[in-house]
Amino acid sequence: MLLYGVRKAAIATQRGGGKDEMERTMTLSLRKSVDQVADPKNLDASVDEVFQMMLGVNSQRSDEPLDVEPESVTAVVGFGGLLSGACVFKSGSSAAMKIAAHMTGMEFTEVDDTVKDGIGEICNMLAGAWKGKVPDLSANCGLSVPAVITGRDYNLHVQAPEFKLCHVYKFDDSSFEVTIICDGLQ
Amino acid sequence: MSEIRTLIVDDSSVMRKIVERSLRQAGLDPMVVYEAGSGVEGLEVLRTKEVHLILSDINMPSMDGLEFLRQLRAQNLAPNVPVVMITTESSEEHVKQAILAGAQGYIRKPFTAEQVKERVLPLLNAA
Repeated sequence: MLLYGVRKAAIATQRGGGKDEMERTMTLSLRKSVDQVADPKNLDASVDEVFQMMLGVNSQRSDEPLDVEPESVTAVVGFGGLLSGACVFKSGSSAAMKIAAHMTGMEFTEVDDTVKDGIGEICNMLAGAWKGKVPDLSANCGLSVPAVITGRDYNLHVQAPEFKLCHVYKFDDSSFEVTIICDGLQ
Repeated sequence: MSEIRTLIVDDSSVMRKIVERSLRQAGLDPMVVYEAGSGVEGLEVLRTKEVHLILSDINMPSMDGLEFLRQLRAQNLAPNVPVVMITTESSEEHVKQAILAGAQGYIRKPFTAEQVKERVLPLLNAA
C-alpha cells in the first residue's frame, strides 16, 4: 500500500518532465543495460558518497545482518519512469539518531520529527545518487518525496521483483541497510 | 554587502539547516536566513522580504522548485536575485529545465561546503 503510493508519486514527478521527455522515454529502453543498472557496486558507491559528503563519516559494507533493535526507522523513496520500484533505507532507532546527529550537529534521545526528516533525506539522496550512476536512468526516472515509517516488528514485502539489491553497511558502531527494489524495467 | 539575506526553500528542515551551515562555512557570515518548506511558502516570503540569494530544492510537495522559479519570474518577485537549485536530480535534462526556468546555478545533493562556495560566491559577486 505504502509502496504503491510512493511509486504513484514518483511517476507523477517524472511526468512533470513534459511531452518531449515523455516521448523520448517511450523510445528508450534500459533492458539492454540491466547489468549496469543492477550492478551492486553502484549502490556501494552511492552509500559511500552520501555518507562521506553529508555526514563526514566512512561507511563499510558488511556481511553481518542488520543490528536488531526493538524499534526501527524505514524510509522509502519511489522510482517512476523507465524503472519503477523503490529505494528503502532501514536502521535501528539508535543508528537513525546517530545519523541525524551527524547531519545536524544536534543530539537526539528519541526518534522525533527531525530524525525522521533526516533519514528521509538520506534515503532521497541515496536514491538520487544511485540512479545518477546510469545516465539513461538519471534522465528518465523520477523520485517521489520520501515516506518514513517507524515502529516495531514490521517487514517490507515485495512480490517477485525484477531485481533487488540489499546491502548492510557499518559506520561507527552502528549498522543500516539499503535496498533497491526494481519491480518494473522498460 | 554587509549582511547577506538568503531564502532557503526545501521541504526538509534538516536540509535547510545543512544548506545554511554550508553557506556559513563558505564565508557568508553575517547572514540572515529565511526558510520556506515549499514553493508556495517561498513566494510568500518574497512578497514581504528582500533577499540577495535564493537556494531551492526541486522535488517538493504542493509546489516544486521549478514551478516556484517560474512563478517567481512571472510575478517579477526578486527579479535580479540569483537562484541556485539544490537537488538530488542531476541529469542534463533537469539542469536544462532549471536554467530555462531562470536558475543561475545548480548543486547536486549530496554536496560539500566547498561545492556550495564554488557555485554561490561568483553569483553573489556578480550580482
